[in-house]
Amino acid sequence: MGSNRITYAQLLETNNLIQMSADETYWLCVTRTVQESKLFPVPAYMMLSYMMSYYRYPSLLRKIESRMLAEEIGDRARNAGIKIQNPSMGWALPGFYLLGREWLITLGLIRPQDALQDLIYVMDFWKRFQLSWHRNNGHITNKEFGHRGQFLPERRVQIFHADMYDCSQGDELHEAAQNFMAAASQYGFLISCESRISLHNSGPYKLADDREMIVRDFMDLSESDFPWLDGVAADVPYNNLTVTMAVKDCHVYLVDDWGSFESKPAFTADKLTGVGLYTSDTLSDGYVPVAMGSREELTACFRSLTEKIKDANNKLWRRVAGWSRDQMIDAGAITYFSIIKDLAHVAGVYDVNDWMMVDERAERFRPLFNDEYSRDALVGLCIGTHTSHRLSEYTMMQHSNAPQRLYSLIPYSVLQGDDYTPSSGPIYPGASHLPAKVDRYNTTCGVIKLEEYNRLAREMRPPTVDPKYRYLCETWVKYHAGEPLADELYKLEQANSRLLKGKGSMLKRVDIEKLRASLR
Amino acid sequence: MAKLYIDNDKYAEPNASVVVDAYHGAIHDLIRRKLESAGGDWASFVFDKSYDLITSKDFEAIEKKLLGTGHRFDWSAMISVRERPEAYKPATGLGDDIKNFSFEHPEAVVAPPDAQGREQRGVGDNVVKYPKNLVGIARYIRSSERVLELLTTGVPVETVAIIDDSGGTLTAPILEEFKGVICAGGTVRSHLGILTREYGIPCLMNAKVSGIKEGDRVEIECTANAKTAEAYQTGVEMTAKVWRLTK
Repeated sequence: MGSNRITYAQLLETNNLIQMSADETYWLCVTRTVQESKLFPVPAYMMLSYMMSYYRYPSLLRKIESRMLAEEIGDRARNAGIKIQNPSMGWALPGFYLLGREWLITLGLIRPQDALQDLIYVMDFWKRFQLSWHRNNGHITNKEFGHRGQFLPERRVQIFHADMYDCSQGDELHEAAQNFMAAASQYGFLISCESRISLHNSGPYKLADDREMIVRDFMDLSESDFPWLDGVAADVPYNNLTVTMAVKDCHVYLVDDWGSFESKPAFTADKLTGVGLYTSDTLSDGYVPVAMGSREELTACFRSLTEKIKDANNKLWRRVAGWSRDQMIDAGAITYFSIIKDLAHVAGVYDVNDWMMVDERAERFRPLFNDEYSRDALVGLCIGTHTSHRLSEYTMMQHSNAPQRLYSLIPYSVLQGDDYTPSSGPIYPGASHLPAKVDRYNTTCGVIKLEEYNRLAREMRPPTVDPKYRYLCETWVKYHAGEPLADELYKLEQANSRLLKGKGSMLKRVDIEKLRASLR
Repeated sequence: MAKLYIDNDKYAEPNASVVVDAYHGAIHDLIRRKLESAGGDWASFVFDKSYDLITSKDFEAIEKKLLGTGHRFDWSAMISVRERPEAYKPATGLGDDIKNFSFEHPEAVVAPPDAQGREQRGVGDNVVKYPKNLVGIARYIRSSERVLELLTTGVPVETVAIIDDSGGTLTAPILEEFKGVICAGGTVRSHLGILTREYGIPCLMNAKVSGIKEGDRVEIECTANAKTAEAYQTGVEMTAKVWRLTK
């Protein structure tokens, strides 16, 4: 039985966060796209991943917070294109956990008030991370921001803006960048077993009246956490790559919590007018320019990366085509479940057994996950047609107007004595049908073993979270630009910038444009 | 028999899916029996005793019972039907029978040949508008064996891939070689739609086609307007034609 420490205010807030996630899950699932594959049993691995998330996330998040608070990781997330952005944190952390919970409620295996302290904790972790990560825009999700994904401080946007190279359809840089993004997108889908979680778009940032910037991250490309990339991705030189993209005559009006975007008119290759390239990870202290010394160097780098990625793509495809169904399900379920694994990397507590295994409590359900049941159960979970979703006939759900709720709320009756259970328990053992992970991780500090990776992560103290600078936010900058401390803050970020190194805090957007124009 | 919390659900209704309804009914019975055998105390059952009492063998038995009624599962991934053909509905058009195979969508819009010898065989959602229509040779790409074969021998020039998988992984190593794509599933936002846009390959998604056989010459109306997000959300039809060329 639970203790009496849970308060009315906690339940009110938790239920609000649950409902917020429920409303957006429905909208995303209905309006984005149908995810299907003849290669991977996608619904089957999704269902399994939700079980894994339900049973393990509370313990894993507590383990992470034993070294680093969610809000500190949120501060770090603004400065790296790694898998603690969307869709990982904006949607999947609460979404996967709550989808697992809802399915178990529908099965009758848990009640809405079971594992209550776990539930409150997971949603509170999510809230603190999101508010910290979104600090510069003041919202909790892209959805709350009207489907907009601006996270970066001015000093970082200025560098992306200033150092970007102009391009236009038909020129060598444009063609090389476009080919790279096509190949990397394709490879990303394959790495992630048909899901889009290796890709992330954020922004837009307004560069000029007719231009906006999208920041696109390609993540987990090299030998790192996924065992299925061992060997095949050895020649991919960077694990994470971020492409800054200027788009002209094209307004990006929607960036959702899955990290995908919509624009008017539709974004096509001819709209791309500028690109830049960066890498980052938990050890890099922010974004590191890649081949940004000249447009010729950048063009050659895009071409080289494209060839390496195509080679890895073909090798990986041959490997996957030889997998058993259980191996495909494991890889997909692990990809989904471990979508938030970079939280553990930032905190320096990453463990292969925590993130690359199927928990035995989830594994029990595997015989249920034939293609047909998985498909129908998944669709029901995502649009709200299972029995646990049904509400009074008077109810009109957001978006659908149907008498449904996607995620069950916590009954307040626990505050007047109704029983509840606090937790689903600690991490149980796990297993996988896939080959064991080779102890080799491609980072910005070289190819290293996991023990060293964790050690370096624990020692990492980026200036952005140094007590001297951490709370020097955009509001502070507005009223202190030009002062020594503000210049110091900007110069730290500008250290690797081609055009802005040492320029300090007084530049405005028009100054960046003049600097760029002077070099054309 | 022990009672479950969900047994008293004021608003419960049957699930539209027969398989889901059958599975969930059987699982509820299973949990009631196991809870009863554990003494009926929920607190010690839910996250403790149930972990040992409810096992994969119980779920295997539920599946076996359903298959015993003669039901065979729909399949979505080839690996599922390949590993357990006895549990799934038969798969066609994946091997040697490809020569006589064709997608037959019941809503395919067809018309007799026009003056240029173009016989309309369906429509689809255009991903990107191009200045000229595309003509090529239809080839069905529906299995990893076919992809591997083309990866080994090379994709014939002029190939317009006819695909029923809107994902981006089945054709991952050869997609770039296609001249065009007609996909019988998904939307312009599906992974295959995204990738063909990135590669600059004309593509129709959500194609409803009929009577196109392996080796037919086909024309795609990729000069039609690309289907917009608003058109999907408001249910507005914005389609591009698919023709089989008789001349």
